[in-house]
Amino acid sequence: MDNLFIAASPSSPEVDFRFDERRLSLKGESYPENAAQFWGDIIAVLREFLQQDMVAAPLTMNVALAYFNSSSTKMLFALFGTLNEKAKSGADIVLNWYHDEDDDTIFEFGQELCEDFPDLSFHDQAVKSQ
Amino acid sequence: MNTNGIQQQWDDFHKYVERRDVIFYYVGYFSQTIIAAMADAVKLRVEHVGGVALTRRKLFSSFIEMAQNIVHYSSDSYEKEGQAQPSMRHGAVFIALTDERYYLHCANPVKADVAEKLREKLEHLRSLTIDEIKQEYKEMLRSETPPDSKGAGLGFLTMARDASAPLEFEFSPATVDGTSMFYLRATI
Repeated sequence: MDNLFIAASPSSPEVDFRFDERRLSLKGESYPENAAQFWGDIIAVLREFLQQDMVAAPLTMNVALAYFNSSSTKMLFALFGTLNEKAKSGADIVLNWYHDEDDDTIFEFGQELCEDFPDLSFHDQAVKSQ
Repeated sequence: MNTNGIQQQWDDFHKYVERRDVIFYYVGYFSQTIIAAMADAVKLRVEHVGGVALTRRKLFSSFIEMAQNIVHYSSDSYEKEGQAQPSMRHGAVFIALTDERYYLHCANPVKADVAEKLREKLEHLRSLTIDEIKQEYKEMLRSETPPDSKGAGLGFLTMARDASAPLEFEFSPATVDGTSMFYLRATI
């Protein structure tokens, strides 16, 4: 399956899904005009990959989003739900959740993910403020 | 020698802006591109006036939610004849900084049916404590998106969560075609 790369724009993050390396990453800010469509397309590609993926090696998702608006929040929740489904069926999926050490909103959202999606190996990664 | 009054006009304007503690103001059409540019300007401006990181983030978040609400729900949309335009709708935002508190204001015209829904939603939010707001946010995050929402139904909840006081709002009396102005203020 082809990798997925979407360059960052002023209001959308860089999406770098290297399926061949089993490393997926999201980086930047997310407040696109139509978050349902932007994230919906990404979730569709991810689903397709997860459906056909039979490799036992762990899959790592690195998320370093400095800001996401309310509609992106909802879609991100759906994205991690999709990963959790796969993990529930036995896949080893690591979620590294990067955030500024002072950013309680993003930290707390990570905690919600951790609670709701217990099959993911969740790692909170607080990054020192610059 | 200045006799054309340009400087005087600026002085008058600046004095008014200063008296009202306004640090950012925009009125006009809102589109995604305009919002992204304003987001940059707001970030810089709030850094410049010395907002702490936490406040800056909350202010930025509420600003984006307000601006995107205008793009989605303002009843005054920009249309060029016979051309499908990307969403562009009319509204206004301003940010005031008084005694270390930020007041984020937005205004846009809405139709009567939208006004009624907004009033219901906001009055409900105003009746909740901050813990209840967080609880409702959690529930909404996990529920189906409401059919009348173009986002996730989380916008006002996000603003209410980030604000340090209940969200305040007003509607102007409706005109003959049923449109009224919707004013919203968030205190950060």
